[in-house]
Amino acid sequence: MTTAEHPIVSLHDANIYVKKNLILTGVNLQVSKNEFVYLIGKTGSGKSSLLRVLFGDIKLNQGDGNVAGYNLVKLRQRDIPFLRRKLGIVFQDFQLLSDRTAKDNLLFVLKATGWHDKNKIDDRINEVLQKVGLSTKGFKLPHELSGGEQQRLAIARALLNEPELILADEPSGNLDPETSNEIMNLFFELSKTRCSVIMATHNYSLIERFPARIIRLETGKVIEN
Amino acid sequence: MSDDNKLARKALRSSYISTVISISLVLFLIGSLGVLLLNAKYLSDYIKENVVLTILLKQDAAEQDIQNLKSQLEGNAYVSSVNYITREQAAEDLQKDLGEDFTNFLGFNPLLPVLEVKLKPEYAEENNLNQLKETVQQKGIVKESYFQESLLNAINKNIRNISLIILGFSLVLFFIAGALINNTIRLSLYAKRLLIKSMKLVGATRNFIRKPFILQGVLQGLYGAIIANLLLVATFYYAKTQIPEIIAFENPMNLGIVMAIVVFLGIFISGMSTYFAVNKYLRQRTEDIF
Repeated sequence: MTTAEHPIVSLHDANIYVKKNLILTGVNLQVSKNEFVYLIGKTGSGKSSLLRVLFGDIKLNQGDGNVAGYNLVKLRQRDIPFLRRKLGIVFQDFQLLSDRTAKDNLLFVLKATGWHDKNKIDDRINEVLQKVGLSTKGFKLPHELSGGEQQRLAIARALLNEPELILADEPSGNLDPETSNEIMNLFFELSKTRCSVIMATHNYSLIERFPARIIRLETGKVIEN
Repeated sequence: MSDDNKLARKALRSSYISTVISISLVLFLIGSLGVLLLNAKYLSDYIKENVVLTILLKQDAAEQDIQNLKSQLEGNAYVSSVNYITREQAAEDLQKDLGEDFTNFLGFNPLLPVLEVKLKPEYAEENNLNQLKETVQQKGIVKESYFQESLLNAINKNIRNISLIILGFSLVLFFIAGALINNTIRLSLYAKRLLIKSMKLVGATRNFIRKPFILQGVLQGLYGAIIANLLLVATFYYAKTQIPEIIAFENPMNLGIVMAIVVFLGIFISGMSTYFAVNKYLRQRTEDIF
């Protein structure tokens, strides 16, 4: 469905509303496979809203939109879970399941997305925990983890199903420089091998260290640098 | 940290337990009323079944005619049983009561043969009895027939009133129970609305999210019903030891039926409430949660 010519994300003249408020007008955006894109803009400029449109949490009513082969305008309620399985989402507020351990958080996602083989599940969980450096903390509840650890758990969860597109909202916000470097390396590596990454951030030093395409949100418009 | 952990788990468990207890108390009320209702019905049936139309037959009535009348009565749709007491048997019974053979010093048996007719409880009404009485009295072999009219009227009137009141009360209580259990479950799920939202965001289908919640709701209903039934049995066992005449006619089947209904209601109300409450949060958009 998504060959190299087909962009993984494309928006045409999209108007984005949150409830009845127009947040972004005339959005045109194309992200191709294996591309890494920064999304920058002041707080309240609509970064999160734009990301939420991409994973189907805000319905797109005006304009055209396509993500990972799903038409955002025609997106039906029952398609949304399947769209999200193609994406890895790192939320600003993590959205971890607070009633279960780190491992069980990952287990929930795998079971929800149709994994059955217990050995494969265990292997996959250990693999992603290793990638984000949490292999020894799988038994802890989210509130027992530090802010940075929770963030890394959220990233681990986003990686579970080998997504075609990673949407990350300030994924390095709570991380020390060393860890955030590791995470950025991880994202860049992923974008080279199998998926695209869209990352919303305020962290300009990060952009300097890891240069990539930048999209700026300003006064309700999307501007390419 | 492990203390924190324990606290969090404890809080979770205590909210679960208090939900189960709320459910069980409401179910206990419903169950008690159910037992009362069934007992009232059983009591009234018992009394009605024992209203007897006594038919005194003529002394010289032929055995064949008596048997004919008996089987004719037994064929009547209203009649539950006909008891034929011959003159000899009546004399024997009386002898036993008196402790003396009175036929000896009288020189003959003055007693009349009797048919005792009992009606099915649902037909034990004055009109039916009167109708039967009239038909019977036209027979040549019948000397006289009678039943206790005033007793029957009093029973029928009072039982009907009491049953209606209890039934109305049960209906009201049923709705109150539904509303209370529904509220309890919605509150306990309100605490989980963010969890449900997070589950949606990571690509779980509605069914997948709903299943464990509904299982938990059904279990809560089941546990609540079990506790309610234990309370019910304990209460009525105690009541029986204290005031045996109240449940003197109690049939163990009745309690069984009520207990089964309590279990069904517990699971049904709790399961449905959970289903609707989870659906509410599944449908809710992110902006509306807060």
